[in-house]
Amino acid sequence: MAIKDVWRRMTLLDRFLVGLLICAGVLAQIWLGSRPVGATVVVERDGRVVFQAPLDTPRQIAVDGPLGSTEILIEQGLVRIIASPCPHKVCMGMGAIQRTGQVIACVPNHLLIRIDGPPEETTAEHAYDLLSR
Amino acid sequence: MSLNRPILLVLLVVLLLIGGLRHWLPEEQKAVSHDRILMGTVVTISALAGNGHDLEEAVQAAFSEMSRVEKLMSPHQVGSDLQHLAAPTSSVTVSSETAAVLQQALAISATSSGAFDPTLGGLKDLWDIEGEHPRVPTQTEIAQVLSHAGWQKISVQGQSVHKDDLLTQIDLGGIAKGYAIDRAIAVLQEHGVTLASVNAGGDIRLLGQRPDRPWRIGIQHPRQPQALIATLEMQSGAVVTSGDYERFFEEDGKRYHHLFDPRSGYPGRLCQSVTITAPDATTADALATAVFILGPQAGQDLLKQFPQAAAIIIAADGTALVTSDDLERRLTWQ
Repeated sequence: MAIKDVWRRMTLLDRFLVGLLICAGVLAQIWLGSRPVGATVVVERDGRVVFQAPLDTPRQIAVDGPLGSTEILIEQGLVRIIASPCPHKVCMGMGAIQRTGQVIACVPNHLLIRIDGPPEETTAEHAYDLLSR
Repeated sequence: MSLNRPILLVLLVVLLLIGGLRHWLPEEQKAVSHDRILMGTVVTISALAGNGHDLEEAVQAAFSEMSRVEKLMSPHQVGSDLQHLAAPTSSVTVSSETAAVLQQALAISATSSGAFDPTLGGLKDLWDIEGEHPRVPTQTEIAQVLSHAGWQKISVQGQSVHKDDLLTQIDLGGIAKGYAIDRAIAVLQEHGVTLASVNAGGDIRLLGQRPDRPWRIGIQHPRQPQALIATLEMQSGAVVTSGDYERFFEEDGKRYHHLFDPRSGYPGRLCQSVTITAPDATTADALATAVFILGPQAGQDLLKQFPQAAAIIIAADGTALVTSDDLERRLTWQ
């Protein structure tokens, strides 16, 4: 076998170098190949990200907008607004979101909450690309 | 044949380098989708494919374009054309774009016998449906405000807007969003984007045909907030829905929404929702309001003047009317 023949002809230093290169390659693949997975809750105010956290970690946060503080609850993989200083509370009425790409907005308080993550396939349950309303 | 040791080492290094470099080489363009609050709603712009240009840059440019249109045509933006038009003067010079949109609005007003009317700014302020203190005004108040409304009181020549009545309040709320969507699509195209969607609070325009299947558009059920009434297949073009469930308040068990009938000064009562498909969002936006006010029969008659547009009309009693066979074929009722 050619590889066995080559291996026999190598010095200890050669073998050390080959081992080092293979280890470096494997580590580089692992490090560079790693990509964040899983959904993340992102809160923006006037187009700037002011908060982000994993969707699967329960927490309650308060984010300030021009009208005051909006309370956001992350619980059981769902995000919802539970208190808002806006006049009509439309954002509270929007309920909870959990799918990548879903959005809750409090337009008067300039806050936008969305779920980032790997794109989801269109399924029978969500058999549309966009919603006209 | 014996292998040469240095050559083997060089080969190993080259293989590892190729593997590593793969991560630094430019990746295939990935779809970009962003949301932003603009024009009083959530705008989502998605660029799915393009011919070599930066999709991220294209989406940001499209948002900037919509923001620019908002600054021109929003009555709430300081220094906007609409604020200048609100002044009690008979003639106001506006940007060429605002003049063109107002002209298109007046043309649809004329064709719809005034069902779409861009002079209801005073009436909207009176009801304050989108404000903090919505209320049902008195008949006297409504009559007084309506005496200053009427699309025939406005004329546009070049960039000059003339008002016969100094107290007429122009409002482009029923058409400016559609225009902003069309401008966003134009900017995406200028940036080489070939497949995209712009969704401004449910008013949608699609750019390009999907390679795998048609676009699927869900149509909101007007009485069940979490349900669809239908899904619609589209190749491209605009889909705009106007409904009495979007912005409203209730008093004494009665729903008062934001789509006003210029003849009575009260919210239109003939429809629950109207979905218009058309090649562009500007036309679809204005027609959705006009058909909603006219109701199913007169609305269907109006659409005969716009052969490229079609509608799904949900009447006040919940019955559905689809105005073209082609649209009917692309619908799946839920």
